[in-house]
Amino acid sequence: MKISGIKYLVGQGVDNVWKNRMMAFASFCVLLVSLLLVGISVLAYWNATSIIGGVESKNEVIVYLEDNTTDEEISQIGNDLRTVPNVAEVLFYSKEEAYASLKQSMADYQVLFESLGDDNPLVDAYRIRVEDIGQITNTIAVIRTFDHIYSIRAPYDFVNILVQLRKILMWVMGALVLAMVIVSMVIISNTTKASVYSRREEIQIMKYVGATDAFIRFPFFIEGMITGFFAGLLALGITWLVYTSVVNTLEEQSALLSIIGMGNIIRFSDIYLQVAGCYIFGGAMIGALGSSISIRKYINV
Amino acid sequence: MVELKDVSVTYSSGVDALNHVSLKINDGDFAFVVGSSGAGKSTMIKLLLKEIDATEGKVMVNGYNLSKLKRNKIPELRRTIGIVFQDFRLIPTMTVYDNIAFVLRVIDAPTKYIRKRVPYVISLVGLQAKTNSYPTELSGGEKQRVAIARALVNDPKLIIADEPTGNIDPELSYEIVDLLKGINECGTTVLMVTHEHDLVRHFGGRIINIVDGEVVYDEILGGTDED
Ligand SMILES: Nc1ncnc2c1ncn2[C@@H]1O[C@H](COP(=O)(O)OP(=O)(O)OP(=O)(O)O)[C@@H](O)[C@H]1O
Ligand SMILES: [Mg+2]
Repeated sequence: MKISGIKYLVGQGVDNVWKNRMMAFASFCVLLVSLLLVGISVLAYWNATSIIGGVESKNEVIVYLEDNTTDEEISQIGNDLRTVPNVAEVLFYSKEEAYASLKQSMADYQVLFESLGDDNPLVDAYRIRVEDIGQITNTIAVIRTFDHIYSIRAPYDFVNILVQLRKILMWVMGALVLAMVIVSMVIISNTTKASVYSRREEIQIMKYVGATDAFIRFPFFIEGMITGFFAGLLALGITWLVYTSVVNTLEEQSALLSIIGMGNIIRFSDIYLQVAGCYIFGGAMIGALGSSISIRKYINV
Repeated sequence: MVELKDVSVTYSSGVDALNHVSLKINDGDFAFVVGSSGAGKSTMIKLLLKEIDATEGKVMVNGYNLSKLKRNKIPELRRTIGIVFQDFRLIPTMTVYDNIAFVLRVIDAPTKYIRKRVPYVISLVGLQAKTNSYPTELSGGEKQRVAIARALVNDPKLIIADEPTGNIDPELSYEIVDLLKGINECGTTVLMVTHEHDLVRHFGGRIINIVDGEVVYDEILGGTDED
């Protein structure tokens, strides 16, 4: 196709937007709202998983060993633990270390320790970090089969809550994204229908004089893409404003921050390229796709 | 060149619109197609444009065998045909110039060629003064002349006119047929559907009469207008 042809077609697409400005504005608004809902929930999801990840990484499984375990056996258990699937890190925590830190944390009850004398009532232990906290039950089941294990302490309840939370978040997200994409496409396809209807004479003449299907469809495709592109652009601006102001507000809430950890909150400056790409590309794609689908239906070339 | 060999068309509703029609229109011919309402004239035109397919028989148009023509080759076929409708079908939001240039733009003709060709065909139909007018500012006869210019603009081998005089004053009808005759004299095949027997009698020439989907008459008549 010649450059003049492409210019003509893009020009027609722009004209379409203008001629159907009411409908185009309607799809622009719907797309904008959809993109914002999806975008902001994706950002919330990212942050939630980042925070969950941060909390998870602080959690550990502690494997207490029987008191009469020899040094060789202890190091053997350490090696065995490292071969267990899903185990990321294994640290030895001797009963002396444990006793020292216990003493320190209970400095006010010095008296208690004095009565014990040099007798250390604690046992040696391994502290384990797992890769996937969702698999923790299986991992522990494996460890339980080892000899010389006195007991295992794992953050089951906490893990379950986190895993559930993540699952729910993912389902809500998925449903939201799907619903928004479908709603947007339906609305856009109706805009295209109106656009096709208002130009039905032109289209019919185009068909009679031998315009190719692609040539007839292209302006409508462009029309959807333009609408989507601008919706994406505005969505980006709004998200940027809302997101940074939320993060700024959070930064002032130091009490809340100490729980979730500021490091786990994603900065807009770190992700703006991805966000811009997704919004603009996503908007343009949904717009273009929505109109393409309906062109087939309404033009019937 | 148009050739129908034993062609039948049955619509999905069960109506037999054409029944074993055979006819041939050679390059450079001028033919009138007459017949009462519902006889199957428009059906024949749709067949030639491959808007519909023959249920039976063979259709050849400008060297294309339509039953074998792939969908994506239909534009190629249609670029060899110019079409004129009873109701003009001009685009109301475009000027005379753009209504005609539009045809060339949508077949991706070079801009330079469009700039030369469009004024030329406008002058052929004698509407230079109306180049920048909109269709609503034109009379019926003028509108139809614009439609004829539009049909001519991509230099088709065949012009099909479906009752081109149906919506205009009788005295202007003669002008329109004169124009089509003139185009035919320059070598373009013309097929004109009409209800107006006066017109046919006046001009004479090849006359194809269709009744209930069958060709009942196909002869050359001398017209009363000797030119
Ligand atoms: N799309 C269609 N579906 C079903 N039947 C149709 C269709 N188009 C036309 N017909 C029928 O086919 C027959 C021929 O119709 P056609 O339009 O070819 O007539 P015509 O000769 O052009 O008439 P007119 O002079 O009124 O324009 C008629 O009986 C008509 O009702
Ligand atoms: Mg008809």
